[in-house]
Amino acid sequence: MIVTFDIIILIFLVVAAIIALSVKDLLAAAMVFSIYGFLICLLWAEMGAVDVAFTEATVGAGVSTVLIVATVLNTRRRSSD
Amino acid sequence: MKAKIFASLSVLITGAILLYAVTDFPDFGDPGSPPNAGVPGGAPSASRYYLENTYRDTKVPNVVTAVLADYRGYDTMFETVVILTAGIAIFAILRVLRRDDAPAAPDPDPARTDHTIDGDHHRIIVGTTCRIAAPLIQIFALYVVAHGHYSPGGGFQGGVMLGASFILLALSGSLRETLTRFSESDYMRMAFIGIVIYAGLGLLPMWVGRNFLDYGALSGLFMTKGEEMARSHSMLGVEIGVAVTVMSIMFAMFANLSTRGRLRGGL
Amino acid sequence: MIVTVLSILLIVTGLVFFLGAAVGLTRFPDFYCRMHAAGKGDTLSTLLVISGFAVYQLHGIDDFTEDWPVLLVVLKLLAVVVFIYLTSPTSTSALADAGWEDGIDPVIEPGHENHLEDDCRKPSSPQP
Repeated sequence: MIVTFDIIILIFLVVAAIIALSVKDLLAAAMVFSIYGFLICLLWAEMGAVDVAFTEATVGAGVSTVLIVATVLNTRRRSSD
Repeated sequence: MKAKIFASLSVLITGAILLYAVTDFPDFGDPGSPPNAGVPGGAPSASRYYLENTYRDTKVPNVVTAVLADYRGYDTMFETVVILTAGIAIFAILRVLRRDDAPAAPDPDPARTDHTIDGDHHRIIVGTTCRIAAPLIQIFALYVVAHGHYSPGGGFQGGVMLGASFILLALSGSLRETLTRFSESDYMRMAFIGIVIYAGLGLLPMWVGRNFLDYGALSGLFMTKGEEMARSHSMLGVEIGVAVTVMSIMFAMFANLSTRGRLRGGL
Repeated sequence: MIVTVLSILLIVTGLVFFLGAAVGLTRFPDFYCRMHAAGKGDTLSTLLVISGFAVYQLHGIDDFTEDWPVLLVVLKLLAVVVFIYLTSPTSTSALADAGWEDGIDPVIEPGHENHLEDDCRKPSSPQP
């Protein structure tokens, strides 16, 4: 565990979360959410929980992004709020 | 506007309380903290037991897999059932079995919605690369499943990667072509077969009078020396079951979500 | 010694290309130029950096006390290199294609716009 690396990842994590919530285009929000998943995967791998990081990389950043994009393309693309 | 200010205030206050609580946490990786060392005078710690005895009990170096598939096998079985239930729910909500009352797609032009490789030179590059990459992904996924108790990995990760390889084929080529290889009846059957593999391996010890999911009783079936290797081999079987279910459900979710449950056309 | 120098050389060259890709991504005028910088720079620099790691791993190759784990690590890194070489240009191509079909206009000299018509494009949208 390296504290500097931790802090950098956490700052990027908060920024990605805020962007994913505030972007109006839901497709862009899905992409930023994928970035969020990769950052969390990096954080867990760096903390030593490699199994959880592997799950997050495959599920959170890989397949769930595809599922969200498929859903967004079949519904409305603009966020309403 | 007022609602946003109220929401921000409540988030800030909750965050401040949580940050204040963080200062009372034990250090990262502290061996003397209650989860690691147990409460003095109380119950001994479970994690210490796992860390010290997993290799002796099961001959599996990866403690996480041993806890997931052996010590806490009941949890993992019903996690797999949760995934199966999610897939069935998506199937029940979205799948349109009769074509007449299907809701109209956003772009009804079939030439644009159907992903075809033939004659469209833009997609030749992507389609060829994905057809080369999909077997590599599947081989790596099988390695992750089979090697899950020696290195990080296991049934969930390998199953998701196997499903992702089929999703990649459907995204880059055509969903119709992928469905001829991995049809709807196939994936719905395989989703249940995975659960049956898991629960069947759990039921086999009851045959000889042991508990449910007590894999040590299977040493006669697997022809191993002691009960430890039988537990190790059973973990591999259990992970194969999990991988089969997760693979099928991931592809079922994608196929139903991307085509509004009609399984025709593409994204 | 020569292995260390070679690996440092490879990694530093890769980092220089990374810097070029980052600068190009922020400084180029339109979508396609930025895509070009990001795709090519990323691919080449990742290849160079990972090849540098693989070369660095060759340090213990003459240490026969452990049976070939070093060579195994090198082979795994080379497999990563091959996979990135396969997929990264493809994703760049797919992104550029998607931008072209979505009607993003490249910045071109006035008087040369006549090859912007293509039947697989949407009508061009105004540049944001």
